[in-house]
Amino acid sequence: MKNIEISKNKEDKILSDGVNKLTVSYSPHLHTNQSAAKIMWSVFLSLIPAGIAGIFIFGSKALWIISLGIISAIATEGLLQYLNKKKITLNDGSAALTGLLLSYNLPANSPWWLVIIGSFVAVAIGKQIFGGLGQNIFNPALVGRVFLMTCWPKYMTSFMKPLNAGFNVFGSVNYDAITAATPLMIVKEGEALSGLSYWDLFLGRHAGCVGEVCILALLIGALFLLLKKYISWHIPIIYIATVGVFSWIFGQKGLFSGNFLFSILSGGLILGAFFMATDYVTSPLTRKGQVIFAAGCGVLTSVIRLWGGYPEGVSYAILMMNAATPIIDRYTKNRIFGK
Amino acid sequence: MKLERKEFIKGIIKENPTFVLALGLCPTLAVSTAMSNGLGMGIAATFVLLGSNIFISLIKNIVPDRIRIPCYIVVIATFVTITELFMKAYSPALNRALGIYVPLIVVNCMVLGRAEAYASKSSVKNSIMDALGMGLGFTLALLLISGIREILGLGTFFGYKIIKSYEPMFIFALPSGALLVIGLLMSLFGLLKNKKT
Amino acid sequence: MKEILKCGLILCVICVVASGLLAAVYSFTSAQIDKQNKNETGEALKQVMPRAIRFEAVKSGEEITYYRCYGKDNKVNGFIFKAKAKGYSSEIETLAGLSLQKKITAIKVISQNETPGLGTRVTDETFSQQFTGKSAGDISQVSAISGATISSRAVIKSVEEKLKELQKILK
Repeated sequence: MKNIEISKNKEDKILSDGVNKLTVSYSPHLHTNQSAAKIMWSVFLSLIPAGIAGIFIFGSKALWIISLGIISAIATEGLLQYLNKKKITLNDGSAALTGLLLSYNLPANSPWWLVIIGSFVAVAIGKQIFGGLGQNIFNPALVGRVFLMTCWPKYMTSFMKPLNAGFNVFGSVNYDAITAATPLMIVKEGEALSGLSYWDLFLGRHAGCVGEVCILALLIGALFLLLKKYISWHIPIIYIATVGVFSWIFGQKGLFSGNFLFSILSGGLILGAFFMATDYVTSPLTRKGQVIFAAGCGVLTSVIRLWGGYPEGVSYAILMMNAATPIIDRYTKNRIFGK
Repeated sequence: MKLERKEFIKGIIKENPTFVLALGLCPTLAVSTAMSNGLGMGIAATFVLLGSNIFISLIKNIVPDRIRIPCYIVVIATFVTITELFMKAYSPALNRALGIYVPLIVVNCMVLGRAEAYASKSSVKNSIMDALGMGLGFTLALLLISGIREILGLGTFFGYKIIKSYEPMFIFALPSGALLVIGLLMSLFGLLKNKKT
Repeated sequence: MKEILKCGLILCVICVVASGLLAAVYSFTSAQIDKQNKNETGEALKQVMPRAIRFEAVKSGEEITYYRCYGKDNKVNGFIFKAKAKGYSSEIETLAGLSLQKKITAIKVISQNETPGLGTRVTDETFSQQFTGKSAGDISQVSAISGATISSRAVIKSVEEKLKELQKILK
């Protein structure tokens, strides 16, 4: 009943061409407005450790990128809702979360306008144009990231080196942007990875995007979400396992020679699997659907990493599976008992 | 006279071939990377449309229903080939820039669509007006799309650099940018149309 | 039966009229098209070998393998060859001038349909100037354009291969 009321309110505003039909999507109707805000802010909270780690690794530039991303995403959402004469829903936290996730997906040395344009595209084209929260097909933050990636590959692929290996943020810091290749870029170029242990990968002592490098911090946040039952383990674990196994099977030196651990610890896989592929709006509703979704994400990510033009494929993989979500939902919907 | 003017005007906004009728999107997507290409394509398509509309409206009474489509295609293909030959002779650079999309006007559904839906049922005079209006609408749409794409994607306007320090947004020079721009413009047209009525 | 004949006849008449029209237009434009084509090749050849005043196509069968260039004194002063390779989204055709010492004088990308703004940068002078003075051995030193790696590598590779091929013929 609640769902119907919500959609009716929306319909009145959205549809003005006389097609005032009431459309109710397939059950189960999981989302209600009330808990959306709570979930959004919890996810936001769970991402904070990764942000702090990013600031430790890349210095105050990372803090600047993160705050800029959040502020511009909120500003865009507020502005668009004001201009469209819609109810302003900034306190549901979805815009702030989009901005946060986008900034986590950017190099720490991005220019300021890159962050602002990215946030604008993420909120405006990724979400508001479809009718706001709950109506978007694609993960907004990833829409913003891919837009930036296609527009300015130069800025999106020059990564800052970690300040220093010892997490010493107060020590003497050299802010001249020294760029370095990410572990995945090094491997893609066919060079050997030297001087980088799994421990470095786990703690994030390598070049990469602001929020993706420190796996430890991401896992702390993910654990919080799992314990609170805001996300289920299905999507992230299957996604990560698929990437690991796929990369292991199709290794560079022949079948079954790939590096399982390296493939899951490098790039944005952990961030994407726990925090972006699990987005309620853009992932399937049923367990079966989620399994298909996660496996699809995993295969696509590995295919892009191994044979595609880009070193990393997490964002494209999730977006592609977002596009497939309606179909997955249609074929995996729960049967009504007795039918 | 009034009716003829209406036939002319309708192609520009109310029945714009690109944004409202969604006809001929393939060449629109492909050649709208630069404004000069957009303008060239628009003029070429308008010429073909004019020729085929006049001819088809002339022969509409002698062509039996069963073979009308082959007849239309022959007429359209003739005009397309004429256009291509003239383009090759007098503007080889444009011909090369438009590439395969000039011969592909033959299967542009805007041309066949207008032939089937309009010219085969209307007088020559009205068909001319329809062709000019539709052609103009198509050209304007192409100019609008290619303008946005060229300015944002390359930072130029008809090939001239506007701002020196501008960092081009490459996505608009790529096919994905074309889809994005057309989608946004279509929704804008829809909004304008809904507001009017 | 009668219906079919009638339809066929009408279609036939339309086709005849159409082909007549085309023939007329073709004969009217063909001279101009030929002229344009010649102009274009002539101009491109001049650009990669400015000191030559006359070009002679050396053919094997129907295809032109290379051009011999003659200077004012009517002596051969260089060669020009055309290299082709698949780029990112199209076939890229490059014209390259060659001095008698088998060093490249200049190159010019004459036909491409690459991504505007990215792949099209192979036509930029900053890229093509790198080729000047290179011989078959050190063409690989030409650096690719960042953001247009596939397109620029296609040009480099095609020129290198064709040059090696030509060296064998000219010897």
